[in-house]
Amino acid sequence: MVLTGTVLLNECQKRLIILWSYRFNFMLETFMIGFLFVGISFFVSGGRPAPEQMAPALLGYLTWFFAVFAISDMSQGIREETQTGTLEQMYMSPLPSGLLLAGRSVASLLISSGMVILIGGILMLLLGIRIPVRLAGVPVFALTLAGLYGFAFFMGGATLVFKQVNALSNLLTNMLLFLNGSFLTVERMPGWLETFARSLPSTQGIDVLRRVVLEDMSLTGVWQDGSLVWLTVHTAVFLLAGWGVFLWGERVARRRGLLGQY
Amino acid sequence: MKAAIEIESLSKTFRSRGGNEIEAVSRLDLTVEPGQVFGFLGSNGAGKTTTLKMACGLVMPTTGTVRLNGFDVGRQRGRAMRQIGAVLEGTRNVYWRMNAWQNLLYFGRIKGISSSRSLKTRAEQLLRELDLWERRKDPVGEFSRGMQQKVAIAAALIADPPIVLLDEPVLGLDVQASRTVQDWIVELAKERGKTVVLTTHQLDMAENLCDRVAIMSRGRLLAHRPTGELLDLFRREFYQLRLRGVDAAEKGGAFPGFTASQENGHTVLSGEVGDDLSVFELVERARLAGMDLISVSPAEPNLEEIFVELIERAEETVGQNGNLERDGAGRPAGVEIRG
Repeated sequence: MVLTGTVLLNECQKRLIILWSYRFNFMLETFMIGFLFVGISFFVSGGRPAPEQMAPALLGYLTWFFAVFAISDMSQGIREETQTGTLEQMYMSPLPSGLLLAGRSVASLLISSGMVILIGGILMLLLGIRIPVRLAGVPVFALTLAGLYGFAFFMGGATLVFKQVNALSNLLTNMLLFLNGSFLTVERMPGWLETFARSLPSTQGIDVLRRVVLEDMSLTGVWQDGSLVWLTVHTAVFLLAGWGVFLWGERVARRRGLLGQY
Repeated sequence: MKAAIEIESLSKTFRSRGGNEIEAVSRLDLTVEPGQVFGFLGSNGAGKTTTLKMACGLVMPTTGTVRLNGFDVGRQRGRAMRQIGAVLEGTRNVYWRMNAWQNLLYFGRIKGISSSRSLKTRAEQLLRELDLWERRKDPVGEFSRGMQQKVAIAAALIADPPIVLLDEPVLGLDVQASRTVQDWIVELAKERGKTVVLTTHQLDMAENLCDRVAIMSRGRLLAHRPTGELLDLFRREFYQLRLRGVDAAEKGGAFPGFTASQENGHTVLSGEVGDDLSVFELVERARLAGMDLISVSPAEPNLEEIFVELIERAEETVGQNGNLERDGAGRPAGVEIRG
């Protein structure tokens, strides 16, 4: 337990120090992310965004931000550390690589949560959007994030082996923004696109989250209508598959000597 | 006494994108005793770094095992990793955006040091020893190459491992920084009892620092002996005759096979003296040839000459498939000099 806490704090500290060293970039990116939301909302609402319509969009948008952060951390972050040799140093640790990866993921989650609170808070204040805090939303949100991290592990495993998956990770994060139902309702999409959109990691989570947080549905309600069941299955599949791909990537990288090779 | 590093039948074959198999390391067997400075020498692509990375658990061997202080890297990874600290070549090894202090604390924790107090004490001790204490709060990216290398070495030593692996530790360093690192390597082994394994292309450095060297070519071990013994093995009846005058070379005909060169207004004749000629006869021959002899001295071989000769011999035995040909015992034919 102490060891897990130390690993977690260590990763958080490292991430914060590095983030602080890029503070100017970070502030610009935060501004850009906020501005992007306002811009897309105007575009989607035909120039007349109403706060009550923007609340579901913001909820989806902030969930998407977690996805961006997690995917970038696992693909771009691992690629950079491969180049600098710090990934090899990490793999020379006597601690299990799974523990270090978990520490890294929780650190990424905590930092992205801080950023989401900051960006979300500013947008809510500026645009008059209200998102109620409901306890029932916590497990749904946790399941959604777990699925997202499963997907991020998948990307991380692929990065260990293929290295140049940057373009793919950019494509996927952009696809998530437009297909996860944040701005465009999934039901309005053509059948084939709706099926595809629903198979993406955050779509189902955002859907259930909206019903629980914004429409005040109970957990029993979303369980009975099957949406929470589907989210649970979806998350389990992403998490297991992602973890499996990451372990596969590690094994292949060790076999081919790719941990320090870009 | 238990060996610090035991490598048994270690092989690594990579597959290229074209599907060709490249044997980076082939049936390597060697042992490194505790407290030694051990040098891995070889041309680029000889398999030194791959061997080192297999010892670090970063590359999975195709066959064979590496044991660090008795712990199998493949099967007892956690305990084996507690035995080593490594600085690998061609990469930063530490975070340049963080300062030296932050780096040491970070790596100390991922190396499993849980006590904050002992970690800080150790970090301070290392930074002071490497003259980095005053600049511990500056980002490593702002340091000179030599200082960055010192931080990487300090990070490798933060958990006080008994074995230190250094891949090209002085590559790209200026003379002073290189000297500091070399002095430290000697101190680590001689005063602190650590086993230091290094790879280098700087053979003069290997000759000065290493108690034992292994010379590799195309993944195979050509020689593995104590440095002094290897030098002795190649020490031949090789002499230099220093003669007064720059025209003395004309008289060099008395010594067939000797080469002549000019040095500070003198002529130097160098060559190997066969079994049929003693040093006294050499001097007598010079006198009879009317040479104005200043001195006769044996020429010592150096590691570089031995390295070049072994590699040349190895290259002569390379088969059509690009691999070294083997003798009946599976060893590189005609070149092996092992201890």
